Amino acid sequence: MKTEKLSKKYTADELAASFVFRNTLTAQQTQDAAKQLAEARKKLQKQHSSQDLLYAGVLQLRYQIEEYINSTQYNAHLSFAYFLRAYIKLSYKNNKDFAKDIHIDETELSQILNGHRDPSEKTLIRIELHSVNMLPALYWFRLLEKEKEYDLETDYALREREEKYVKNRLAFKPLKKKS
Amino acid sequence: MEVIDVKNNTRKKIIIELVEERDYRKITKSRYWFDWNTEKDHLVYKLRLTGSSDILGLMSLIHYEEEKRFAIHLLAVSKENRGKQKAYGNIAGNLIAYACREAVRLYALEGCISLVPKTELKSHYINKYGMLDAGWQLFLEGRSLLNLLRTYDI
Repeated sequence: MKTEKLSKKYTADELAASFVFRNTLTAQQTQDAAKQLAEARKKLQKQHSSQDLLYAGVLQLRYQIEEYINSTQYNAHLSFAYFLRAYIKLSYKNNKDFAKDIHIDETELSQILNGHRDPSEKTLIRIELHSVNMLPALYWFRLLEKEKEYDLETDYALREREEKYVKNRLAFKPLKKKS
Repeated sequence: MEVIDVKNNTRKKIIIELVEERDYRKITKSRYWFDWNTEKDHLVYKLRLTGSSDILGLMSLIHYEEEKRFAIHLLAVSKENRGKQKAYGNIAGNLIAYACREAVRLYALEGCISLVPKTELKSHYINKYGMLDAGWQLFLEGRSLLNLLRTYDI
């Protein structure tokens, strides 16, 4: 009844641009709908090209990196190396070939992937170019920053070591919160 | 992600994010058509302009993990953004594209978006969003899904 009211006010095209309505299928229709969809998807999946597969793989990484760098959480697992490994895996059987294609030393790449060395800005740019700008250098840079932020925030040993080098600290007591 | 300001034919940046509990107080039936309180067990997303808290559109998704699929259970654009007099265009398209983004983020090319259309709207969803016909349901997967993401530049 209510939907009829909308149909009088808007054209079908305008409704499709404004709504997805609650489905009113019966139990039997819901069962049939599930079967139909599963069959249609199965048929479609046979037609996926390797190019679409690669494109979707890179897009997936892009969205995952976006999600992570825009969040306030730190996750040690989601490191620069983790995402770079995943990127390389999309189109290479070994790291050596990728290192060759972006003109960096295989050992350097290995050190980056094992977290023993930071990538240079040139390397970040080369990865951006290799991904046809799908994974911008800035995304990779922010992944590195996220690790550095966490390290800086949690390096208590460094704070202890640096204690002795700081004199004449500002002399005030922190304000108490008003109750 | 952007919507079109119809009056000036300019683009405005938007944010799509999960609805928070406090949002439900301002999500009324008169402005967003449905009773959205029934959707609290699902993933409910809101669309707003960057820098504004006003909700321009809502979408409720059901996640079928074992099928690598998100079903669009409900979607509504706010009252003033429907029909010929709308202030902003592409709200529904952006919400559907965002559902596609979530499918790709989790499942790459195997991700799928589906909806059960009203019979009279079926051809319009197909033409507007490039959806594929699976009988009772319409869906986006593979190339069709990637195309929608490209259209909305997500």
